[in-house]
Amino acid sequence: MAFNILIVDDSPAMRRVVRRVVDLSGFQVGKYLEAGDGVQALSVLRSEWVDLIVTDINMPEMDGEQLLIAVRQDAMLSAIPVLVVSTDQSASRIEDMMAHGANGYVSKPFMPAALSEQMYKLLGGAPDAGF
Amino acid sequence: MQASDFTPIIGDCCAEVLDAMYFASVIETRQSFGPRPDAELDRIAFNLHFQGDVHGWFGVHLSPATARTLASNFLGEDEDALTVEEVEEVVGELTNMLCGSVASRVEGRSKFVLSHPEPVSSSPPPNQDALISDIETDLGLIRTWVALDPETTQPSDGASRVNS
Repeated sequence: MAFNILIVDDSPAMRRVVRRVVDLSGFQVGKYLEAGDGVQALSVLRSEWVDLIVTDINMPEMDGEQLLIAVRQDAMLSAIPVLVVSTDQSASRIEDMMAHGANGYVSKPFMPAALSEQMYKLLGGAPDAGF
Repeated sequence: MQASDFTPIIGDCCAEVLDAMYFASVIETRQSFGPRPDAELDRIAFNLHFQGDVHGWFGVHLSPATARTLASNFLGEDEDALTVEEVEEVVGELTNMLCGSVASRVEGRSKFVLSHPEPVSSSPPPNQDALISDIETDLGLIRTWVALDPETTQPSDGASRVNS
């Protein structure tokens, strides 16, 4: 099965790194979709099938927390797993994001295997990482 | 809190971030206090504002050659294939990640917000005393600096601090 993955981050470099980790993890990816903030992400989500959202928190326009809340409140989108990848390692931030319905949280900096492991938990399958 | 309270944190955070995501090893960290370093013409320099219980500015300066090697490692691409813009994006993300790592340790349980990293020339912060850390790595020198906003800084006796 091929997965459509939406990567939301205001850093194009970070979006590339996440894409690379996914590639090296052995996932079959149907389509990579990208957005630079929550507003762009919601636009993508309303026009494309998405199996997993990987999102940063600190972003302009609409941040990752607002995006997560919007996704969970939208009946058409609420079942999509959301994996948060953020530099914010504060306990209250992690607790808040999980309370809002995040399915996983990976703190930056991360080892590629840490991100891959979280994705396998959410999408299923066995890790087959090439790193 | 004062900038000096960041002294033991900066080196550890740089080592962690550089090792995990840029495949660079820290050889030595030298630290000093002084005016915020100006961006030199031959350096790539980014900074951002952080805001939580403590707030201030955080910056990163490094040579284009070191930046290109770090970008190559970060993105998994050949150095020669990277554009200047791509290298600068990676330095911006390095600034974001280093500051996030430092802020997470300083703030503990409290949330914080980081502004988008910007080239120093486009958004100079107030010139104030900073903790300057020269991080010598196997890929070259990386200079970081952190300066707290005046209303954040308080000496240990609790009296207000006056910045000259």
